[in-house]
Amino acid sequence: MTRPTRYVLCALAALIALLSLALLAAACGGNGDSDDQAGGDTRPSVLQDVIERERLRCGVKGSQPGFSYLEPDGSFTGFDVEFCKAIAAAVLDDADAVDYVSVASATRFELLAAREIDVLIRTTTVTAERDAGRGVDFAPITFYTGQSFAVHADSGIFSSADMDGITICVQSATTTEQNLDDLFAELGYSYRPLGGEDQENQDAFVAGRCDAWTGDQSNLASRISQLTNRDDFRVIDEIISKEPLAPGVLDYDNAWKDVITWVVYGLINAEELGVTQSNVAQWAASPPNTAVARLLGAPFESGEIADLGFDIDPQFIQRAIAAVGNYGEIYERTVALVGVPRAGSLNALYTEGGILYAPPYR
Amino acid sequence: MKRINRLWMIALAASLALLALSACGGDDDQQQTAADGAESRGDTIALIQERDMLRCGVTDTLPGFGFRNPDGSYSGFDVEFCKALAAAVLDDPDKVEYVAASSSARFELLAAGQVDVLVRVTTITAERDGGRGVDFAQTTFYDGQGFVVHDDSPIRAAEDMDGATICVAAGTTTEQNLDDFFNERGLTYTPLPGEGSEPQDQFVARRCDVFTSDKSGLAARIAALPNPEDYRFLPLTISKEPLAPGVRDYDSDWKDVVNWVVYGLINAEELGVDSGNLTAWASDPPNTAVARLLGVPYEGGDVADLGFAVDPQFVQRALRAVGNYGEIYERTVGQLGIEREGTLNALYTEGGILYAPPYR
Repeated sequence: MTRPTRYVLCALAALIALLSLALLAAACGGNGDSDDQAGGDTRPSVLQDVIERERLRCGVKGSQPGFSYLEPDGSFTGFDVEFCKAIAAAVLDDADAVDYVSVASATRFELLAAREIDVLIRTTTVTAERDAGRGVDFAPITFYTGQSFAVHADSGIFSSADMDGITICVQSATTTEQNLDDLFAELGYSYRPLGGEDQENQDAFVAGRCDAWTGDQSNLASRISQLTNRDDFRVIDEIISKEPLAPGVLDYDNAWKDVITWVVYGLINAEELGVTQSNVAQWAASPPNTAVARLLGAPFESGEIADLGFDIDPQFIQRAIAAVGNYGEIYERTVALVGVPRAGSLNALYTEGGILYAPPYR
Repeated sequence: MKRINRLWMIALAASLALLALSACGGDDDQQQTAADGAESRGDTIALIQERDMLRCGVTDTLPGFGFRNPDGSYSGFDVEFCKALAAAVLDDPDKVEYVAASSSARFELLAAGQVDVLVRVTTITAERDGGRGVDFAQTTFYDGQGFVVHDDSPIRAAEDMDGATICVAAGTTTEQNLDDFFNERGLTYTPLPGEGSEPQDQFVARRCDVFTSDKSGLAARIAALPNPEDYRFLPLTISKEPLAPGVRDYDSDWKDVVNWVVYGLINAEELGVDSGNLTAWASDPPNTAVARLLGVPYEGGDVADLGFAVDPQFVQRALRAVGNYGEIYERTVGQLGIEREGTLNALYTEGGILYAPPYR
């Protein structure tokens, strides 16, 4: 091989390498420059929208004590709301940079599809039809609940076996009603439905117009806990459906889904590792082990910070914990206060008898 | 020296070019070009259907999970999920091309489109999910890292491993956990990394003192040895290893099918659907939940089409091919003496944490 030939080959090879790298960056990178023309069915990640807007639009219910509730002063509180704050803190370093959008159950998926909300955190059950048919991609389950019944404390109803022929307050055209119909068909029982919205059902039940009121067990318990005569009612132990509640984002947006997924997992892992809102700053400065160091995006001893490749910096979970604390702290500050105890429920950590389990942050 | 440098440069350049091609371009029709900064969508279901064959990335050396038998067939827990997916999409559990994916090359194979799905005792981690373009389906097996020693070894606890040589699979979370575990305790060790069954072979040949891996994998390997009583587990579990199928990011229709095949097989067990009653229940379902799962009408009603990119009977086909989750477990890892009862892999109604959202 002559020297000039070798130079040409070298130059050619180098050119191919550079072009390849450029191609790689264009085809695989996709994060840095998402704001230019998006066409066809591909749009920049919602993550970029949120960063540019400097606000998170969080779709919540707004009317359920303990989960998401619009307070008289205009602020929002509750379990779901805490996750909105955690995500805003993770992405925008500001837990208050959230626009809460109260969404109806009937329109929640349309609002998500239209990108009028960035994430749906609205006591929404993960179902096959929503996952596959409605273009929703679900983040990890934040709360396991199931459909149950509230009855009057002095009634003789303790389980569905005692319900033949009774009147039941149930929201019409919901999965709740569907589950109820399934159950009664299987039992060979009949019931008289009294349909209305959440609040109407509650009012009808409290006024004694129905014998039982059915809904998510946590919803029934939290609503009853707000009543002055709460001792006149009880929620039965029986659960007739699985209602795993999770944040939802749009399909085909993994950059955004990954961030939300690992904020949720991160808050659960934080509890398992003993990281709390009060020790997070200290542990970030001097982590007790590598697992905590990685979770907080801090170096362990004299090592380097582990960058696991998310489209935001490695401290995003640390910011979420600083804003809202770990999963257990969120729970105690919200649903625990409205009469939904955690111990003995599926929502306890898997190490403590529940099924809450997060893959490792590494 | 100059010549070597230039040759090296050429090699580097060429490999970069290849890497670029394999990392992104592997299948021309798999991804449209995306120059707009947004990620382009994959459509792996269409690819599988056109090819009329599912490419499943597995391990071929782990008894109970993914193992290539002497006759060339594959068996194991992971392999059953490959079959279930092929049955769901192609109506034939045998339309699977098993691709032996080494632990260190598996994610490149997935990214390059060489496999449609990775079902290869792969732990869900943040770095794989967030940084390597993998989208994980539901966890199929909850595991954790453990240690095995020779029965005559003096090693009984973590501190006894100071200075030991440890056999470990290369490119795994196991390797990383090991490093963390020893660093935090101020202990030293010499890793002896290998691919496939190398760590096991090295350990059996006493070229290392300790063999570490996922506990169930260790148990399966030891059980398959002629003299399993010559080995002993240390009473340690040092990590969480939730194992799950992985697909490429930005391929939601395919991810949904993989996810709900897994959920479907778990729900089937909870609902009591199994190989024995499947045919009868598909023609006369006992309740709406079973009818929906199998994609059949309940008492004169309509078939519920929940909107998947495949027809509503896909879970039924998966069940016909491999049975429900419990049947898969018993037929594979259960045969190797890895008890399910009392572990995280029991149904949540039976003391474990295996829980599938409702199929509705």
